[in-house]
Amino acid sequence: MDWESFKKLKGDEGWLVIRRHAGVVSDALRQKTLVLKHQADIAFVSSYTVDPLADYVQVFSAQNDLAVNSYIAPYGQFNQELLNPQSELYRASPQLTFLLIEIESLLTNDAVDEQAQSSVLSRLQGLVDAFLKNSTGILVINTFPACPSWPLQVLPDQRRILIEKLNAGIIERYQSHPRIQIIDLDALVAYAGCQNALSPQMMSMAKIPFSETFLNFLARRIISHIVATLGLARKCLVLDCDNTLWGGIIGEDGLDGIQIGHDSPGREYLEFQKTILELYQQGVILAINSKNNKDDVMQVLNEHPQMLLREKHFASILVNWDPKPQNMQKIADQINIGLDAMVFIDDNPAERQMMRQSLPQVEMLEMPADPSLFARTLRETGCFTRAYLTEEDKNRGQIYAAQRQREQFQQSCATLEDFLKSLEMVVSIHPAGKDDIKRVAQLTQRTNQFNLTTRRYTEAAIAAMAQNPSWRIYVLGLKDKFGDNGTVGLALVEIQPKKWRVDTFLMSCRVIGRQVEDAMVDRICRDAAKAGCISVSAEYIPTAKNNLVAGFWDKMGFEKENADAKQVRYSKQLKNYQSPQFLYLKIV
Amino acid sequence: MIKDRLEVVFRQSFEIEKFTEDLSIDNVPGWDSMAHVGLILALQKEFAISIPPADAIELTSVKNIIRYLANRDV
Repeated sequence: MDWESFKKLKGDEGWLVIRRHAGVVSDALRQKTLVLKHQADIAFVSSYTVDPLADYVQVFSAQNDLAVNSYIAPYGQFNQELLNPQSELYRASPQLTFLLIEIESLLTNDAVDEQAQSSVLSRLQGLVDAFLKNSTGILVINTFPACPSWPLQVLPDQRRILIEKLNAGIIERYQSHPRIQIIDLDALVAYAGCQNALSPQMMSMAKIPFSETFLNFLARRIISHIVATLGLARKCLVLDCDNTLWGGIIGEDGLDGIQIGHDSPGREYLEFQKTILELYQQGVILAINSKNNKDDVMQVLNEHPQMLLREKHFASILVNWDPKPQNMQKIADQINIGLDAMVFIDDNPAERQMMRQSLPQVEMLEMPADPSLFARTLRETGCFTRAYLTEEDKNRGQIYAAQRQREQFQQSCATLEDFLKSLEMVVSIHPAGKDDIKRVAQLTQRTNQFNLTTRRYTEAAIAAMAQNPSWRIYVLGLKDKFGDNGTVGLALVEIQPKKWRVDTFLMSCRVIGRQVEDAMVDRICRDAAKAGCISVSAEYIPTAKNNLVAGFWDKMGFEKENADAKQVRYSKQLKNYQSPQFLYLKIV
Repeated sequence: MIKDRLEVVFRQSFEIEKFTEDLSIDNVPGWDSMAHVGLILALQKEFAISIPPADAIELTSVKNIIRYLANRDV
């Protein structure tokens, strides 16, 4: 298979072409001639044929370096598969199970009436309950397309109204459940247009309700759920300026000449900025990487009356005449994230090509030539999709802005000690409560650098851990004179009678070098000693990204127990344990 | 003409060496009942026609498809 042309498949080539490529990918994965960076085990249980959908999922995910292993339940067997604890589904134990069903499959007779509404909800609840009991994975359910049909009477469509109510009921009931995700199929079908999305012909030939076009759409949505759950979503959007954030070239057209505002030309860019701002408000970090005179760009950001995005929204602004890959690396260093967490948008094909060749880890978004389609294209990429949004996500922009202030402040301090002392840090360490579960899961999924073992946990797994007396989840919050950093540290500790084991220990990179991590280690050791423990064990599992913490346990006074470079084991004896002194931290 | 266009569809969809009228659902690897649905969709798109399910069942060989398309006046 030609990888370059495979990467270019968009899904509008038709399902048969996709199917053929999916076959090649599956074989190559099985024979290990194709090795992808990430992998996921998923399952489809459905009231209709899902094989074509699985083909699209296989191809699009492989394009994004994700190998998806799908279990497909036999046609129409969703009841048996979910209700029987010994079913193949539960034996396959997938991370995500997609329960894709039509409303008809939950109706006792075909009528959609008031009674049907409650009976559909209760049948769905039965399936969900069985799943939650028999599996530890995530269940993804769908709302039902409330497609209007051509009205036979001059009356409102009662069926549509009832399905919409039913959908609202499903969303209300399940939207904040830690192990249930919802594909809002109703909204997705409406977005594509009912007539384009649904295909009576496909239904008749293959028992698939959807058109080829819509299968393409739905597959991308499914991949978003996988990517979000596995924590593979990107974190930072890096933008070029001229003809990306605004129309025209600031260096030539000047402040009054560039296009940005409510009238066209210019409106397209404002719409695009609105979408970018929306991403920012959901926790995506923004940065600028542009070839320009810095003063020109800063003038637009600070003075142009129509700009929506301002200096304060960007965590890093690199405007110079250096090669863009070089700037990109600097931005990654400044923000302290990996290149594979970054997405770049640039209107210049030559720049894109250069970035692709020098830094293939950075995802390049291909924007259409017409700027009025920028906003839509950015929305549909799905590379920033999250399974949920935490308070931290909503405040991340401000947190990064405060970080810039801190760095400026540090430069004004004579010594590191002065700086740390004057930060007035207050650390709080507490066992994770119900409200922390999401953030804890998110930290395990997203933290790469200051992460000793890089074990990823789903929200479901963390929720189970929180209720299990043999586990203790420590979360660490940090405040300082510049504001609340939020929850920035985490330790998952397995409690054994004489020996505690630190399964996971991680810190947000924002707080590295502030002795906060020492406080966490101290707290674990103190608690363990108090519980009559003899020693605490820990590990360091090296990855491509966590070299930063290679000597961490040594520094914390732990002793190396083995010479296995892939998994270094440590332990610390607790006899006569004494806490270190914390000069710069107040611990509450 | 029909045959040339059909060959393009077949080459995109299946691994075949020689494109002949003898190709059928019985001797083309990968042409199974599920792929058949995909083939019908591809034919509809390529020849800008709609193929009703009852006709689709009959189109299980290249010979039949060519005859059918000729009759449909594509």
